Amino acid sequence: MSQIVIKDRIPQAELLAPGHVACPGCGGSIAMRLVLKALGPRTVITLPACCWTTRSGPGPQSALGVPLLHIASEATAATASGIRAALDVQGDTETTVLAWAGDGDTFGIGLQALSGAAERNEDILYVCCDNEACTNPGIQRSPAPPSGSRAPATPMATPRSHPKKDLIGILAAHRIPYAATSTVAHPLDLIEKVQKARTIRGMKFLHLLSPCPPDWGISDDETLDLARQAVRTRVFPLFEVENGQRWRFTTDHPGDPVEPYIRRQGRFRHLTPEQVRHIQSEVDARWEALKRRVEFGA
Amino acid sequence: MRENQSDGDVAHGLPSSGVSEGSTSANRTGSWKSVRPVYQDMVAPCNAACPVGTDVEGTMNLLREGKVAEARDLLLRENPMPAVTGRVCDHPCQTACNRASFDDAVNIHAVERMLGDLEPEVHAPIPARTRKEKVAVVGSGPAGLACAYHLARLGYAVNVFEAEPEPGGALRYGIPEYHLPREVLVREIERIRSQGVDIRCDVHVGGNLPWKELESHDAIFLASGARVNRPLELTGQDPADVRPGLEFLREAKAGDRGAVGRRVVVVGGTDTAVDCARTALRLGADPVVVCQGSRVDLSASAEAFEEALREGVRFEFQVWPVAVLASEHAENEEAIEAIRSMYVEAEADRPKARLVGVECVRMHIGEPGPAGERRSLPIEGSNFIIPADTLLTALGEEPDLGFLPSEITRKGYVVKVDEFGRTNHPGFFAGGDITGEARTVAHSLGSGKRAAIGIDRHLREKAGEPVAEADPKALRYGGTGNFSITRWRGDDPVHRTGEVNEVVPFERLNLAHFTSVPGKPDRHRSFEERRSSFAEANLGLTANEALAEARRCFNCGVCNQCELCLIFCPDIAIQRHPGGHGLSLSEQYCKSCGICVEECPRGAMVMTREGL
Amino acid sequence: MGGQAVSWGVRLARAEVVAACPISPQTQIVEELSEMCASGDLRARFIEVESEHSAMAVCIGAASTGARTFTATSGQGLARMHELLHWAAGARLPIVMADVNRAMAPGWTVWTDQNDSLSQRDTGWIQIYCESNQEVLDSTVQAFKLAEAVDLPVMVILDGFYLSHACEPVDIPEPAEVDAFLPKRTARHKLDTDAPRAFGALTPPALYMETRLQQQEAMAEALKVLDAVDEEWGQRFGRRYGAIESYQTEGAELVLVVSGTVASTARHVVNQLRGQGEKVGLVKARLFRPFPTGALRKALAGVPHVAVLDRNISPGRSGIFAEEIRAALCDLEPGQRPAFHGYIIGLGGRDVRPETIIDCLARAREAAKNPGVCEREDVWVGVQP
Repeated sequence: MSQIVIKDRIPQAELLAPGHVACPGCGGSIAMRLVLKALGPRTVITLPACCWTTRSGPGPQSALGVPLLHIASEATAATASGIRAALDVQGDTETTVLAWAGDGDTFGIGLQALSGAAERNEDILYVCCDNEACTNPGIQRSPAPPSGSRAPATPMATPRSHPKKDLIGILAAHRIPYAATSTVAHPLDLIEKVQKARTIRGMKFLHLLSPCPPDWGISDDETLDLARQAVRTRVFPLFEVENGQRWRFTTDHPGDPVEPYIRRQGRFRHLTPEQVRHIQSEVDARWEALKRRVEFGA
Repeated sequence: MRENQSDGDVAHGLPSSGVSEGSTSANRTGSWKSVRPVYQDMVAPCNAACPVGTDVEGTMNLLREGKVAEARDLLLRENPMPAVTGRVCDHPCQTACNRASFDDAVNIHAVERMLGDLEPEVHAPIPARTRKEKVAVVGSGPAGLACAYHLARLGYAVNVFEAEPEPGGALRYGIPEYHLPREVLVREIERIRSQGVDIRCDVHVGGNLPWKELESHDAIFLASGARVNRPLELTGQDPADVRPGLEFLREAKAGDRGAVGRRVVVVGGTDTAVDCARTALRLGADPVVVCQGSRVDLSASAEAFEEALREGVRFEFQVWPVAVLASEHAENEEAIEAIRSMYVEAEADRPKARLVGVECVRMHIGEPGPAGERRSLPIEGSNFIIPADTLLTALGEEPDLGFLPSEITRKGYVVKVDEFGRTNHPGFFAGGDITGEARTVAHSLGSGKRAAIGIDRHLREKAGEPVAEADPKALRYGGTGNFSITRWRGDDPVHRTGEVNEVVPFERLNLAHFTSVPGKPDRHRSFEERRSSFAEANLGLTANEALAEARRCFNCGVCNQCELCLIFCPDIAIQRHPGGHGLSLSEQYCKSCGICVEECPRGAMVMTREGL
Repeated sequence: MGGQAVSWGVRLARAEVVAACPISPQTQIVEELSEMCASGDLRARFIEVESEHSAMAVCIGAASTGARTFTATSGQGLARMHELLHWAAGARLPIVMADVNRAMAPGWTVWTDQNDSLSQRDTGWIQIYCESNQEVLDSTVQAFKLAEAVDLPVMVILDGFYLSHACEPVDIPEPAEVDAFLPKRTARHKLDTDAPRAFGALTPPALYMETRLQQQEAMAEALKVLDAVDEEWGQRFGRRYGAIESYQTEGAELVLVVSGTVASTARHVVNQLRGQGEKVGLVKARLFRPFPTGALRKALAGVPHVAVLDRNISPGRSGIFAEEIRAALCDLEPGQRPAFHGYIIGLGGRDVRPETIIDCLARAREAAKNPGVCEREDVWVGVQP
C-alpha cells in the first residue's frame, strides 16, 4: 500500500480535551495528544511553567484527561520523582509518571533536577517538548535552538552563537535505560517509542521536536512539514539509545540541504549565506558524530 | 481532626487546593477563526481525462477497500466495454495521472481490463422497462452499442440495426485479433445484450430497411461509423496490389491470409496503418510504414507505435509516395527479380502487372500555409524507391452519409451535432465517427453516452415531464471531461462531501504520506512469439497485480477516510461521523490552523471564508 | 541528639516519603532516616536529591499524590527551597519539615541563628520553635497531625548544634500510642487516575484572592487545632507546650520574650533573679506562624516592660520577634501597653550566656529610667564596640 495508512495504529481514546487555548497549529498540542494516547489513562503528569501551563486552561478548567500537577520551572524531574515515590509506597507501580517540560525548562533551568533524577534512575518518563524557544512569556531565548536563530527577546544584533546542547548525549552519559528522539510529524514513531518506554523500569527520556509557528516564523499549517524537513535535513535525526551505549537510527535521513529549511523560517531571516553555510557544516559534523555512535556505541 | 476544621473545600466558590473542576471543552475556541477548513471533494484528473467519462478514481478506491464487485459495477455504470477499452484505449487517464509526477502512473488500463474480464458472481438483472418509448440505433460500433446500453439502463426499449453480418463495427472488423481477441468482444456485446438491447444484423437502414420503418421509434441515434477509405493520389495505380488497409484487416480477421506479399508498404500514420503493418508482419511480411509527418504527427497510439517498432515494423517519417512501379514498367531488374522470388502464387495465377516498388519523395517542414498551418513540402530531387509488392492505404476513413435523410445538416464530411448528440432534425441524434468526434473507440463510447442522455432528456420533455436544466459542464467530469451518466441520473453510490466540479491539481496533494512504489507495467508475449501468432500480444496483469496497482492510486480529490486530518488536528476538532460515513469538523473548536488542509494527501479539503 | 529526635519523630509518625539533601548541621537527620528506610524500620521511600529545591519538589509531588511526606534542611538549604515553600503552602500540602536553624552566608557559617527560618515567615508555613529535644520529637509527631488537619505545611525548628548535636534524655512514646494519636493520612484531594484533575493551574485575578483568603482562614484554624493537638498530646503523653508558655510572669515588672534554646538559658536567669527578689519572668514564644496574637496580648498586657531577645535581625528594621510582638501589642489600651525593648543577641552562633541575658535586663532597666527618650528598636548586645 503506498499511502502509509496509520489510523488503525493510533489509539483512539482521547485524553486531551478540545477547547484548550493553544495557538492555532501548535506543535505542542499535537505532541501532548499523541503522547497521552500512547500512554493511556493510567498516567499522572507534572509540568512546569511552560506553554502547557496556559494551554491547559486557567483554573478551574483542565484540558487533560489525566491528573496534572503544575509545578515551578526548575522542578519537573524532582516533582515527578516525588509522585513516583508516593505511588510506589501506595503499591501502585503501574501508573506511569510523566514529566513534561519544554526545552527552556529542560535544557537550562531544569537540567539540574533532570540530572539528579537520571542519576537516581527514577522510574519516570520525561518528555522534552522542544520548540526551540521559551514561548510562554512571549518567545524568549532558550538554550535549545540552533545557532543563528533569533527570538523576539534576543536583539537582531546578537543571534545565538552557540550550537544546540546535545541533550540525548547528556542523558546517555547518565546511562539511563532509554533515551530517544521523535517529532510530532512522525506519529507512529512517537507512539512506538512512548509505548516502548512504558515497558521499561527506570529513567526514560524522549526529546520531541515540536515546531512553534509564532516563534519559527512559519504559517500555522506548516507545523508538520517543518518537523518532517528537520528530520530529512538531519537537523533533528530520529534515533534511540539504550543504556547510553546502543545507538540506533529509527528512520531514513536523506540529507536534504539545510538552506531551504532555514530560509522558510522567519526566525532565520536575518542570516547571511556565510552563516547558513556554517549551519550546514554544523549539521554535517553532528551527523557524522552520531553515525559513529550508531556504529561504535557510546 | 477534620470536624474541627473549617471546610476549605469549595469555600469562596473554590476548592481549597486549587483543584480543577471542569474541562476546557466549554471554551468556544472556534470563535478565533477568520477562515475555516471544509471537506470538499474534487475531481481526479483521470476522470476528467477519460473520453468515456469513467469514475476511474472511484473504481480504484473501491478496489483499495477490497470491494471488487462494487468497483466493477461502478465502472460498468459509465463504460459498457471495459474489457475492450482496457485493451485498445490509449489511456489518456494515465497521462493525466498525478502519480506519474511522483513515480509512475497507475496502470489504469490494466485494472480496467482485469475488471472487464472478470466473470461476475451474480449476473446483473435486466433493467426494468420503465419508459414506454423505444429508440432505434443505427450501427453497432462502440458509439451505437454505448448509446443502446445506457438507454436500456434508463428504462427504454432499444433496437440496434447493424448492416454487417456481425455486431461490433470497427471493433469487429477493424481491430486486429492480437489487439482485441474475438471472444473478448463477443463477451462484451453479450453483456450489452443482457441489458435488454436487441441487435439485428444484416440490416442496412436506408437500404434493405427503409427509413419509414423506423418511424415507430421515438428517437433515432445514427452511429454508422466511417469506413470509406480516403483515397491516395498516385500515378500508376495497380488495383490488385494497392488496397485499402481496412479491407485488408477485415480479411485478415476473417482468417483470410489476404493477397499480401512480403514487402508491404503501408501509407499513413493512423492506428489502422500501424495495425496493417503489425498484421502483415504476422503474416510473414516485412512491413514499412510511410508517413508524411514526423513521429510527433502520428495519430496512432503511442503504445501501438512502440510495440510495432519492437516487433520489427519499420517506419519512414517525412516521406510521401508519389508513384507506384508495376512490373511492366519497372526499370530496376534487380528489384523485380528480388520480388519475383517471393511470389507465392503459382505462375499462372499471377496478374499481368505486379507492383514492384513505390516511388517516394522526402518531405520537410516548409513555410506555414496561408492560415498559419504547418505544411510538409517535398524536397526537390529526393526521390527514392521502396521495393514493395503490396501497398496498403490507411490515411483515415470518411463516413458515408449518402443513406441519411436529407434534412440532417452536414458539416463538411460529418453530421453536425451539439454536446448532447442532437442533430438539427428533431428526434435524430448522432455520435461516433459519423460526427466530428475524435476517432478512437473511447471517444465513440463517450459520444454514445452523451447521446443517450440527450435522448432521455428529449423524450422526457416531449412527454411533458419536468426536466431539470441540463448544464453540460456540470455533467462533465471536472467541467472538461466526458459526461457522467451517474450525474445525470443523480444516484451516485460514492459518498462525496461538498463536491466541486474541478480537477485537483498535483500541487494540492501532500506526497509526504506516500512511499514510492514503482508501477507494474503490462506483461507482453515475447516478440518471437508475436511475430508468428495472432494471439493476444499484451497479456496485461494478474488480478493481484492489478489490485496492487489500484492501491497505488492516490485517490485524488476524494476523501477516502484515511483520517490523517483527525489524527493531526491540534485541537481535537475532527471526529468520525457518529454512525455514518465521513468526518465532521467542529465549529466550536476549530481554530483554522489549516493543518488538516495542508496534510490531506489527496487535496480533499480547502480553506474558505464562506459561512463566517 | 536533636537530629535523632527528629528522625524518631518521623519514624513514629510513619512518614511515607522522605526527600532530603544533607547540609550541616542537619546531616544526622538525613543519615538516621536513610538508615531507617534502608533497614525497613521506617517503611518509606527515601530519596537523596541533588538540591533542597528538588527536595521540596519531591515532597510536593509526593504529598500531592496523597503520601505523608517529610524533609529536613538548614540555612542555605532552606533559602534554596524558598520558591517552593510558597508553593507547598499555596497548594495546601501537609508537608512537615525540620529546619535546623543556621545563620545565612556570607560569611560562611554553620552555627545557629534564626534568620533562615524567619526569612520564610511570609511563605505560609506554620512555624514552631523548639526549646528541647523532647519538644523536638513531640512537635515533629504533632506537626503531622496539625498539618493534615488544616492542610498547611509545618516547619519544626531547632537550634543548630545546641539542639541538633546536643544529647538530652528523650522519652520516646510507644508506636501503638502514636498510631492511636495519628492515624494514616487520608488526603482530601490527590492525583488520582480514577478522578483526574489539575492542581495549581493558572489562576486569574478573579479567583486568586480567594485562594489566599482560604489559606489565611486555615492559618486561623491552625491556632485552634494546635491547642487541641497539644491538649490531646498532654492527655496521652503527659506533656504540653502550648502556643506560648508563660514562666514566672505573675506580678513581673519585666518579662523577657525568648525562643529556642535561649529560653532554657533565660529560665535559669529568671530563677536566679527571682531568687534575688527581682520581679522578672519570661514568655517562651513557640508558635510563630500563625502568630499567637491573642495569647501574647493576654500574657503581656499590663506588664510594665517587655524585652524581646531576638537571635535574628531583619536588616533595616529590628529583630523579627520584637517587630511582630510590638505590632501585636500596639492596640492595647495605653495603660495596658508595655514599654518595649528589643535586643539582638547570638547571631551566627555567638553564645548566649546568662551574662548576656542579664546584660539585656540591665539595659532594659536603664532605658526604663528615661522613658520618652527614644531607644533604638534593636539594641545589639555582646558585640564588639
